[in-house]
Amino acid sequence: MPANPAIKQVSDVTWEIPPSYKQGMNVPARLYASKKLLDNMDSGVIEQVTNVACLPGIVRYSYAMADAHWGYGFPIGGVAAFDTEKGVISPGGVGFDVNCGMRLIRTNLRFPEVKPKIRELVDLIFDLVPAGVGVKGSQNFTQSQMGDITSMGVKWCAEHDLAWEDDPQHVEEGGFIRGADISKVSRQAISRGISQFGTLGSGNHYLEIQVVDPERYLDRDMAREFGIVHDDQIMVMIHCGSRGFGHQVCTDYLRNFESGMRRFGIEVRDRDLACLPFSSKDGQDYYSAMVCAANFAFVNRQIIVNKVRDAFSRVFHRDAEALDMHLIYDVCHNVAKVETHAYDGAKAKVLVHRKGATRSFGPGHPDVPAPYRKIGQPVIIGGSMETGSYLLVGTQKAMEETFGSTAHGSGRTMSRTAAKKEVRGAELQRKMLDHGIYVKAATMDGLAEEAGMAYKDISEVVETMDRAGVSKKVAALRPIGNIKG
Amino acid sequence: MTYRFLPDVALADIAFEAESGSVDGLFETCGLAITDIMVDPKTLRTTTQRKLSLRSENLDRLLYDFMTELIVMKDVDSLLFGEFRVRVSPAGTSLEVVAKGERIDRERHRLRNDVKAVTMHLFGVRHEGKTWRTTVVLDI
Repeated sequence: MPANPAIKQVSDVTWEIPPSYKQGMNVPARLYASKKLLDNMDSGVIEQVTNVACLPGIVRYSYAMADAHWGYGFPIGGVAAFDTEKGVISPGGVGFDVNCGMRLIRTNLRFPEVKPKIRELVDLIFDLVPAGVGVKGSQNFTQSQMGDITSMGVKWCAEHDLAWEDDPQHVEEGGFIRGADISKVSRQAISRGISQFGTLGSGNHYLEIQVVDPERYLDRDMAREFGIVHDDQIMVMIHCGSRGFGHQVCTDYLRNFESGMRRFGIEVRDRDLACLPFSSKDGQDYYSAMVCAANFAFVNRQIIVNKVRDAFSRVFHRDAEALDMHLIYDVCHNVAKVETHAYDGAKAKVLVHRKGATRSFGPGHPDVPAPYRKIGQPVIIGGSMETGSYLLVGTQKAMEETFGSTAHGSGRTMSRTAAKKEVRGAELQRKMLDHGIYVKAATMDGLAEEAGMAYKDISEVVETMDRAGVSKKVAALRPIGNIKG
Repeated sequence: MTYRFLPDVALADIAFEAESGSVDGLFETCGLAITDIMVDPKTLRTTTQRKLSLRSENLDRLLYDFMTELIVMKDVDSLLFGEFRVRVSPAGTSLEVVAKGERIDRERHRLRNDVKAVTMHLFGVRHEGKTWRTTVVLDI
């Protein structure tokens, strides 16, 4: 992006665009980026973050995190909080894949014992966790169960022997967001989703076997708080969302929102910013349906965890409890939630949209699970399949500055078509194997599209948010096995 | 009836532009483009037939709903379609379609990307002279 004089530097990793930049901006825009990330950020981010700043009822700032790139309406990596009485809710501020998110599971296995069995393990998980076009899961729920499942999320799973007792408290919001109402979800959304529990999907979704990577980063004291006690400990990371259920919820409500905006006299700079007053019936209906989709995603990741635990148990001939396969945490990175935050000298409920952004609550917050409350909420930021990922922790500074939010991943720099022109899937698979990563993909085209060179440098993104103080690094995680849709 | 992919329109998703000499042909072309994204059409047979009727408030919405219905049938019934015969009403607010394809066969079909939704980004039906055109961005 060429230098833009409107962007003022506030710190080495913080930039602001004043409301005078664009007519209609209600708040400034704030970007978190190193100079390098900012120089390489697509100009669409500036356009979009300042468009979001024009939305009714937005408070403090329209944010773009260090991994920001152009999206639909909101940039990916965008965060915006709205007054719950005067503000709006926008499906574009959540994304089609409601509660696309990350789950991290630890094991007590170490690299030397997993390395010789990685192929067997990945192949088995690939068989147990369907991925790709039109896949269906083996978990059969009934239509009559969908109301409870999408209302109670992982808590429902625990009550039905589909989760360990301590799983729900290691998931954002205790495993379910309140406010779900299945009557606000279409028959089509339910039909699409009901057979997809326990499936990975495709695109940039993945399941990864990882090893702690102290050469890149490891804060041993902090990592111990999350149950990481060895320098070569094996983890499992899952990245997926609400599948066809969430996508159909977004599709259905975008329809309503476009016509609803005319009724409320709301005009937006970008059609993809369709929004309605949060307090309106349509706004509340979307919220209730979106929460169903968010809880669907928590359950989807839970069913996948069950299969992963099963696979490890079969390969290593010990049950998953003996392998200490407890959840470290599960975070959403596409959601809108009502949260209480302090800003402008008072505490208030706000509707926080995080689209390709992660909650990053600091120490002492009551919503941080008890085992982590003194240190802060785990934050999981996924990189490309070649570069690895990070475990971080939330901070008080995030609560003060970003409505408790941080980045979510690397962010794409190259289109799918361009990536496929640069690299062939089979070659990439061989290259990754040479680098110690065994990948099994549903399609070779899909693999090529997810090549590391199509993404920003995850370490640069994570370092930026660490220097900004809104999420602090705990451990780098290196992939050794990967399943892609 | 043609479609071409637009590599620079959406980083994380897939976009195409479709055109035809008729509005019926435009719908059929969009159907074929969506199929092409999900599967190599050369591996798809047309042994199963589905008839569909849709109503929407205007032509843009009708095309949007038609494409969404294909995505729904992919997820619910595991169906992919390689042939379409579409008849759009003169008012552009309803259509009848006969779609031919088959259920997904992971052994035989060369599957590609999973299309999850039609976005509203850049979307709209344009009638330019004798040609009907549209730009579609699909969430992958």
